[in-house]
Amino acid sequence: MAKLIGSLIVLALAAIVPLVAPHAEYVLGLLFLVFLYGTMATSWNILGGFAGQVSFGHAAFLGIGAYTTAILAGLGWPLWATLPIAGALAAIFSLLIGVPTFRLRGPYFAIATIGVGEATRLIALNWSSLTGGASGLTLATTPPLIVQYYLALALCAVCVAIAARIKASRFGYALAAIRSDPDAAETLGVDTTFTKTQALVVSAFMLGVAGSVYAMHYLFISPDSAFGFRTSISLVIMPIVGGIGTIAGPLLGAAIFTVLREQLEAYFPYLDLLAFGVILCAIVLFEPKGLLGPFDRLVKRRG
Amino acid sequence: MSYGLALIYGVLKIINLANAGILMLGAYVTWWMWDAFHLDPLLAPLIVIPLFFVFGVAMERLVVRRVLDQEPIVSLLLLFGVWLILQNVAYVIWTGDTRAIETPFVDATVKLGAMQLSWARIYVFCAGGITLAGLQLFLTRTHLGRAIRAVAQDREAAKLTGVDVDRVNAVAFGIGIALAAFAGSLLSLLFSFNPDFGGTLQLKSFCVVVLGGLDSFVGVAFGAVALSLAEAFGLRYMAASLQNLISFVVLVVVLIAFPKGIAGLLRSMRRG
Repeated sequence: MAKLIGSLIVLALAAIVPLVAPHAEYVLGLLFLVFLYGTMATSWNILGGFAGQVSFGHAAFLGIGAYTTAILAGLGWPLWATLPIAGALAAIFSLLIGVPTFRLRGPYFAIATIGVGEATRLIALNWSSLTGGASGLTLATTPPLIVQYYLALALCAVCVAIAARIKASRFGYALAAIRSDPDAAETLGVDTTFTKTQALVVSAFMLGVAGSVYAMHYLFISPDSAFGFRTSISLVIMPIVGGIGTIAGPLLGAAIFTVLREQLEAYFPYLDLLAFGVILCAIVLFEPKGLLGPFDRLVKRRG
Repeated sequence: MSYGLALIYGVLKIINLANAGILMLGAYVTWWMWDAFHLDPLLAPLIVIPLFFVFGVAMERLVVRRVLDQEPIVSLLLLFGVWLILQNVAYVIWTGDTRAIETPFVDATVKLGAMQLSWARIYVFCAGGITLAGLQLFLTRTHLGRAIRAVAQDREAAKLTGVDVDRVNAVAFGIGIALAAFAGSLLSLLFSFNPDFGGTLQLKSFCVVVLGGLDSFVGVAFGAVALSLAEAFGLRYMAASLQNLISFVVLVVVLIAFPKGIAGLLRSMRRG
């Protein structure tokens, strides 16, 4: 209950920021990115964190969402109408991928997803008639920043709520069982493949919608930006840095990631990924629960 | 490079995602020694191999050992972090500009019948072949090599017969890293490179290793041949830019169809 009230307060604070500071475009832009990346990290976390299926190819779903919106907008669709289609197409694509790759386990699955991610990028790069090839696609119009802000905030809030519901549900327990021991889970009557596929589809749908918002924000998308390996990398890093398998962790990770990246990218290009490599190693070695770990211990010691 | 991966996987049962970074570093060290000290790139492996062997052993001692007992995904993520660090350190030091090694030898060619072959390619081919033969001899004929194979087969049993497993782990990791750097050094003679060098090759070598079966050396050689053939034939039917797609598709298909690789397939056929 305390957690619910806490989240509602954060949500309310986030909602009034534009009312208090309507002209602070830098702050709004930064917060927008935090929400967008928070959505992306949360959706990765459903599969990677709850079920322990680490995917290095999740940019594929973001890319499909972004391209769906760009292509449909080019055909004259209103932008809002492309949101659900972007999610749906990403979800359908994830089904196509999930059925074969979920026959693999652990590290094999992770390697196969690198292959899937790169393969989708190469297809987007070479299918020029649909995607514009390497020169990418441009959107003609974009909603004002304030609309984007609330859109990303709403999307992020909905996704976090869904993730929280999943975690506390029978479905979430099944995912946790798969994470700790797939064989034992199967013995206890969990249909592991079906459950993992469900998690993947939910995750892909969210990422597809996030991709649609991504395209609306950046106006220009190319195979290297939307489908890029860098995107997949950041999707892995954010939840792990914040706290893998938790609800608040991916959000915390996304906030740190976005702010650090914005600051570092301006002054020291390449240093952002270097910093995240160091952070990733440090977290894996010393604090596998992510930055939420020390915080949790503090709370427990008090209580 | 694929052999390095197979060796590390076989012995330590971890998948080394940092291999691409090492490959790239090997290429850069070769280039740097040529550029700064005018050292002939052909001699560079004499320095690169011991240097990276030490580096690999240090890496195992300091970092990898801590996560060996944990789930495989932990070491995967850790080495992925190491790769990110190596790659971006290279960006900071050498910038993103593409580098290439150009010596008279690298550009020289020789006519063999109707074929025009460059000396560099012949050199790389021979060096690769000799290394593999040497590795095979080391693994089958020396005490340490046998210990490595024993640990790869069954860590507990090897321990029981008195093998120093920790030492074997460190040596195997060192050899794996040295092989990757050696491969990078050789490839720098053939291709120009930048800090992203190795990413695609890494996927390809995963593909080769997976094709061959993750802990079988004969299988790895088999996988390398099979993949090159698939790419060469694929090129006749599709655009060159799609060439890399072939490896990924092969990788995914093989992972799904025979998770134990070609060697595993052969073994089960023999049995059944």
